[in-house]
Amino acid sequence: MRPAVVVFAVAVLAQWLLPLMGVWQHERVIREGAAVRVRCTSPDPYDPLRGRYLMVRPEETTLPKPEGMPEWGTVPVWATLVADADGLSRIESLSLVPAAGPSVVRLAAVVRTWDKDRDTVVVQWPIQRYYLNERLAPDADRLVAERWRTGARPVAEFRLLDGRAVLTDVLVDGVSIRDAVRPRAP
Amino acid sequence: MSHTEHRWLAEQLPGWEREGIVTAEGARRLRERYAVEPRAGLAQMIVGAIGALLIGTGLIAVLAYNWDDFPRWVRLALALGPLAASQAASAWVLRQNEAAKPWQREAAALVQTLAAGAAMALVSQIYNLPGQWTDLVFWWCVIAIPLAWVMGSQSVAIAYLVGIAVWTVAQAAERSNGWSWTDVADVRIWFPLLLAGILPLWPGPDLRGRPAPGSRLMLAAAALVGLFAVAAQASAGGRPDGEPQRAFFWLAMLSSVVVLLFPLDRDGIAEPLARKPQVLLGGIALVIMALIATYEAPARDLVTSVGFALPLGWCWLLLAAVGGFAAIAFRQGRFAVLAVAGLAVVPLLASPLSAADTSGWPVAIAYSLVLLGTAIALIALEFVGRQGAARIGATLITLLVILRMADADLSLLTKGLVFIVIGAGFLAFNTFISRRRVTAAGGVPT
Repeated sequence: MRPAVVVFAVAVLAQWLLPLMGVWQHERVIREGAAVRVRCTSPDPYDPLRGRYLMVRPEETTLPKPEGMPEWGTVPVWATLVADADGLSRIESLSLVPAAGPSVVRLAAVVRTWDKDRDTVVVQWPIQRYYLNERLAPDADRLVAERWRTGARPVAEFRLLDGRAVLTDVLVDGVSIRDAVRPRAP
Repeated sequence: MSHTEHRWLAEQLPGWEREGIVTAEGARRLRERYAVEPRAGLAQMIVGAIGALLIGTGLIAVLAYNWDDFPRWVRLALALGPLAASQAASAWVLRQNEAAKPWQREAAALVQTLAAGAAMALVSQIYNLPGQWTDLVFWWCVIAIPLAWVMGSQSVAIAYLVGIAVWTVAQAAERSNGWSWTDVADVRIWFPLLLAGILPLWPGPDLRGRPAPGSRLMLAAAALVGLFAVAAQASAGGRPDGEPQRAFFWLAMLSSVVVLLFPLDRDGIAEPLARKPQVLLGGIALVIMALIATYEAPARDLVTSVGFALPLGWCWLLLAAVGGFAAIAFRQGRFAVLAVAGLAVVPLLASPLSAADTSGWPVAIAYSLVLLGTAIALIALEFVGRQGAARIGATLITLLVILRMADADLSLLTKGLVFIVIGAGFLAFNTFISRRRVTAAGGVPT
């Protein structure tokens, strides 16, 4: 077999492997993961390769520093979520030690160096972007802004499995934002 | 002799054979000695690349539309279907071996590259994955570059070079934030590795592969931009507290010298400057930085940056490359590029002589004088029969005078008169050089 054919075959394999690995991992989380909802903010930016999306920022981002947290750099932390009576989840505890369980999510954390006492961390959630059709995205953005002025917050719904989260929907007043802004059939 | 002259000779030989100026055997030997590099149908390749680019970007745009009404599996099929089709087309082209036309190779490789990127982007979109688009670009580059190797595709190679430069700049920018979420890659390791990814194509396993002029420009530009980004990241010194990047100035100068002095073979040296973009880009970047350093504050910053740069491993790696390339250039008699490269040595020599917090004026004045000396050397080399750059030397002198006049405390009338004299002198020198070259070439304009 010519070396060029071998290199080509490896490239073809890699070109399938990368997207399929993503499909397999995230399909499993969606199929088997626990459903979680958190309150969030959602402005509407643009990605040159993937189109329009609502930037999803869960509200809970500043928390007490977990035991053994390094002063510098971003480190993975494991957050245990607990659901309120209204079905919305919040972080109950943070740990640097990997934890397991249906309500544990892996986040990234960094110490708030601009704080005098440096006793809090800022966490970054693995749910950041909710991609929307370019026709719907501006309306979705407008809807979120309108509700925001009345004090209502959008809610991010995601599936959680083995610490990995896959964002499945953004809800406004309990309704999927896609349904809320999709033009009604006459 | 340059490639242009090889080509000219090849075009003349049949006529000379007919007229009996050379024998058939003599013509054969001349063809062997001054072989013409096959261009593989440049127009065909461009047409193939443009067609593929239109199809591919159209594909990405259609997929990025986010087909809201389709279920996930349909959208996945939309993403992966074009990839499968483009791979089948490439496999067919590859099976044709030498029978495949250059535009077919170019188009197949580029469409497959774009389809692979579209598939990754769409999967990322369907599952609402986090992360910057530049993270996708990294993986896109990695899975696309083998296509440039096996299909000999210039357009995929160019796309790869643009991609790795964009990714490297994004990583360096992320690091320079000082406070970053993502695991920022160490581009001091990754950029050289990624740049080496082009080696199986240029020079290739037989060491004879050469990029086309447009690809050379991209290669030189990607190398320069990437090295600047690495310099920015390296000068941050891995400090997470956002320490100002004070080593960057001199590291950027050394990076420009590495690009400027990159070794060439005999044919490459003989080519005109326009076909040596690494010399042009590296030289321009270096001269611009040197001109900036003729002012007091930047001169002080530049000398200070030497002290910050010398403890860095990346700086020593650059110095080693500069030393090696300079030795090769000296052996090859490339004195003009060596004269320009010498501009980066000034801050190193000035560093031990300048006490901390002293004025930058001595260095600024020294830079003006060294630039003047470099310009004179570029002119003089041409007059002593070496490969020089008289016009560039004259331009440099003109620029220096303009800069000094601009900040001089003189009346507008005086400045205006001086500019007129400089402009007239510059034009007269150009005319003189043109006439001299015509005479030297035996009446043929060069």
